Amino acid sequence: MPPLLVAAERVAATVAQGVHGRRRVGPGDSFWQFRPYQPGDSAHRIDWRQTAKGQAVFIREHEWDAAQTVWLWRDGSPSMEYGSASGASKRDRAEILLLALASLLTRAGERVALVGGGDPPTAGRVSLSRIAMTLGTGKSPNGLPPMLDLPRSAELVLFGDFLSPLEEMDRVVRFFAQRAVRGHLLQVLDPTEVRLPFSGRVRFFGLEAEGETLVPRVEGVRTAYLERLAAHQRGLAALARAAGWTYAVHATDRPPQTALLSLFNALGSPQHSSRRAGAR
Amino acid sequence: MLSLGPMVFAQPLILAALGILPIIYWLLRVTPPAPRRVAFPAIRLLFGLTAREETPARTPWWLLALRLLVAALVILGLARPLINPSADYPGTGPIILVVDNGWAAAADWTARRAHMDDVIDRAERQGRRVIVLATAPTEAGEPPAPSAPIRAAEARALLEALVPQPWSTDRATTLAALEELTLDHAAHAVWLSDGVGDGQERALAARLQQLGSADALIPQAARPLLMTPPSLDGLSLRVGVSRPEAGAPRSVTVRAAAADGRLLGRETVLFGETETYSEALFSLPVELRNEVARIDIEGHASAGATILLDDRWRRRPVGLVSVGAEAEMQPLLADTHYIQRALEPFSELRRGDVQGLLESGVAVLVLPDIGQLNAEEAAAIDGFVSDGGVLIRFAGPLMAVSPDDLSPVRLRLGDRTLSGALSWTEPMPLAPFEPGTPFADLTVPDDVLVGRQVLAEPSLDLSDRTWARLVDGTPLVTANRRGPEGQGGWIVLVHVTAGPEWSNLPLSGLFVEMLRRLVELSNASQALGAAAGPGTLDPILTLDGFARLGAPPAMAGPLSPDQLGDPEIGPRSPPGLYGTEDARRALNLGDVIEAVQPLGPLPAGVAVSGYERARELDLMPWLMAAALALMIADLAISLMLRRAVALPLRPRTAGGIAAAIALGLSALPGEAQADETFALTAANETYLAYVITGDPTVDEISRAGLETLSLVLRTRTAVEAAGALGVNVATDELAFFPLLYWPVTDTQPALSAQAIERLNDYLRFGGTIVFDTRDQGVGGEFGSRVARMQDLTAGLDIPELTPVPPEHVLTKAFYLMQDFPGRYAGGEVWVQTTEEHINDGVSSIIIGGNDWAAAWAADGLGQPMFAVVPGGDRQREMAYRFGVNLVMYALTGNYKADQVHVPAILERLGQ
Repeated sequence: MPPLLVAAERVAATVAQGVHGRRRVGPGDSFWQFRPYQPGDSAHRIDWRQTAKGQAVFIREHEWDAAQTVWLWRDGSPSMEYGSASGASKRDRAEILLLALASLLTRAGERVALVGGGDPPTAGRVSLSRIAMTLGTGKSPNGLPPMLDLPRSAELVLFGDFLSPLEEMDRVVRFFAQRAVRGHLLQVLDPTEVRLPFSGRVRFFGLEAEGETLVPRVEGVRTAYLERLAAHQRGLAALARAAGWTYAVHATDRPPQTALLSLFNALGSPQHSSRRAGAR
Repeated sequence: MLSLGPMVFAQPLILAALGILPIIYWLLRVTPPAPRRVAFPAIRLLFGLTAREETPARTPWWLLALRLLVAALVILGLARPLINPSADYPGTGPIILVVDNGWAAAADWTARRAHMDDVIDRAERQGRRVIVLATAPTEAGEPPAPSAPIRAAEARALLEALVPQPWSTDRATTLAALEELTLDHAAHAVWLSDGVGDGQERALAARLQQLGSADALIPQAARPLLMTPPSLDGLSLRVGVSRPEAGAPRSVTVRAAAADGRLLGRETVLFGETETYSEALFSLPVELRNEVARIDIEGHASAGATILLDDRWRRRPVGLVSVGAEAEMQPLLADTHYIQRALEPFSELRRGDVQGLLESGVAVLVLPDIGQLNAEEAAAIDGFVSDGGVLIRFAGPLMAVSPDDLSPVRLRLGDRTLSGALSWTEPMPLAPFEPGTPFADLTVPDDVLVGRQVLAEPSLDLSDRTWARLVDGTPLVTANRRGPEGQGGWIVLVHVTAGPEWSNLPLSGLFVEMLRRLVELSNASQALGAAAGPGTLDPILTLDGFARLGAPPAMAGPLSPDQLGDPEIGPRSPPGLYGTEDARRALNLGDVIEAVQPLGPLPAGVAVSGYERARELDLMPWLMAAALALMIADLAISLMLRRAVALPLRPRTAGGIAAAIALGLSALPGEAQADETFALTAANETYLAYVITGDPTVDEISRAGLETLSLVLRTRTAVEAAGALGVNVATDELAFFPLLYWPVTDTQPALSAQAIERLNDYLRFGGTIVFDTRDQGVGGEFGSRVARMQDLTAGLDIPELTPVPPEHVLTKAFYLMQDFPGRYAGGEVWVQTTEEHINDGVSSIIIGGNDWAAAWAADGLGQPMFAVVPGGDRQREMAYRFGVNLVMYALTGNYKADQVHVPAILERLGQ
């Protein structure tokens, strides 16, 4: 597990350089900006020192620093053990991404926890190693997250290949969305799954006892397969959009930083904050 | 038979099976290859997918071609293609196979056997019957007779049993038998001749031709060789070898062997271009030459090329009793000089006193006139004669005045002078030798005259005992047999001196011949006795056709004495050894056959060829092997296509396999070479050795520590340590190392039984092992690794141990010190309970836990690699000092325990 942690930290470090704070106004201690007084603003918020420097009346605003709870989950089913040419299995990549995200979040002061990990959300680096320990022992039988009652307004990030039928995924997303949980789906796929690079007569068998199928000429079915995959991904995207979630795809032959950066940005997106502001 | 140029198919019908190849092609085409199996997580997306273009999977065309080739090869192989096939024999009647199976055919019998098989094969292929006719009389004495026309299989069985005989062929009888043979159809005769002519060959070939047509095979290169019995040439054995025909130069190796088969000598015989006879000379020491029982030609196993030797070729050492130095001073006046000159050419002569000669085992003792023998000598000689020895005495002035008992007849006192100032008589010549005496066939020269002699007392048996007389009848040589009947030896007395004083007999050639006969008495005394009797010589061991000595065949009968002179070798008297175990007489083919004659010219029309020719080549095994190889290749390709075996596809793995194979091939020599290099390195200089534990970190620390310690030893002491060397206790030789440092790790695997054995040997023969548990002795007596160490060393002979006593040599071997810190300080160090007399008092086992190697270890810049605990330069220095003491202790033993040094040590201790 330490190597995984180190790899995750490395990935997180490269991303952290490009991310600065929460850049949002909110309750906090550090100065964020002055803005001109508007009617309706409370008088005690006026910064008199700044106001005295000029003609206008200014209000001091602080940077928002409320800690958010982010729940993380990665698919631990056998199909995730699959890894083709690049050497890294999907599960390895999912765990690196998960830990790197957790690292970034704890740096930003957020509290993180593993769905089904049994521990309450905690902040600080201790939580990181705790998550890593839990990852090392935990395995899930199927490719779906456990339907646990999460606190309302929590953030949920799911890593997995999401190759289960769309109906099952739909059920999961609905379950969490009903509890006002904001979610993010990151689909981790192997390049062979993205491209189906086989040829000739091949007997495929699944890793989760789905059965096997004989394909006489793989070249012949490649287009059909890619269409099905695209349809599946469209279905997933639609699910996510309906619930107000985000959805992204990551292939293991791509560097993890890109996926991590977009995920981290999605977590702190303006849409996100405005929604939260509205909720508040 | 279907013929295609030089190739012929023996079973052409099978070729029709080639017609099924298209069917095989179709079958192979419609059967798709087995699919690969691939794990795929997104399989749900694949279920139910059908390809737009459903082209069936095909076996690749080249695989199809390979499989068709396999089938074609099998069919072709079964059709038995032959290259260089033999032509059919002419005629329609039976094949007459005439085989010379006399002694001359034995040497290359295997070639003949192959040709017989060949002839039978061809006859079988043509479906013709075979008449087998062997030209030598059988072992049972039956004359050569043709078999009935039999089928090839029966003929093969008959020929299996045919062996060469140790006697000559009988072509005359063969011819007579052939004359009586009448056949309905024209036969074809094949005559496998032995290349030896006897005058009948032309008639025989002509008769065979009359029966149809005839082929004759005559050996070209390997003509039969005949060996003639050896002659004694001085001290050497001269053996003659003859061949039937001059021609290409040829060299053969003749070897002499003892009765038990020991090789005593090998000589090369060279035949020049024009020579048919050549000789080999064996110069062997007498003892070895007497052991020669058989002389034969290497690689030419034939009764004709083998000579058995009997007692006639044995030489017995002759002892000449000589006392005093007068012989050397005036050789021409000394009796011994003449005896020596007469005996030397044909026997081994030893000189000395009576006792010495008898002890050295002489067969003949020659006693010149040396005067009175003392009682012991007389008794010894008497015993010698009784046991079968031969005593030859010469008379002389000393004997004339004091005759003793060791003479065949009683002698008169004094001598008889035939010529002299006071004598009327003239010196007297010898009378012709009488038959029945050993000298019977010698002629007496006129000019041998006897001037003086000793005289025998007349007695009744004097005439029987006399072997030579003077013309007046007085005995000149008398002889008597002594000892038990049949075993006793001879006492022979020559009544004159051995020198020319009394007669000129010693100057004549007759003297040499007479002495020779007398010496031969010892050789063949028993045989002579046996031959003199009415009995005949029974065969003891006889040679077979391949010159193997064995029990005589049933038909072999005894030889009568007159047959010995002119023997006839045949089934009744095969070559071999005759007589009794004590007196053997060898009968050799070379005695009878003077020289081998070449085969005379054969009538025109008889096809003559040699035994060497191109044999027909059956291609079936080769085709089948090729088919099998291709099948294996096909299997490999099929597996590769299914990716069940993906190895050859990856270059790196393939390289690995090739390397592994190469390694396997070169493992033995490489290992041996590595061993040698290791031994040279370790033996040329003093190395400090550590045990390779398999843990790279620990091994590196051991190496660095011992390297640094070597440096310390070189700078501070006289020990020229070359460095550190890791040893694998299971495989490396440990004898080179005075000291073995063994860090105990948790991971080292248990030792094999061989390793335990080697370590025990190492300890027993003076090696010292330092065990370091590297844990400062925490917990238990040595620390937690003690149990591990006990596991590791289970089976080692660990002696009784004790903590290092204060006065132990380890405390004063170079530096004076009482504790032995390493990386840690304070751990107890245990040594063997001292026993001064074992291994120079050096403890074979030293056990501690202070992790000394880590304290010694320094990096490339000389900086210590590990901090010492609790620390300080003093502790590190003491660790080095302990290392120095340890090596000194292992190298010098209890030298410092010597009490001599106690005062100096006490002084330095300030006590």
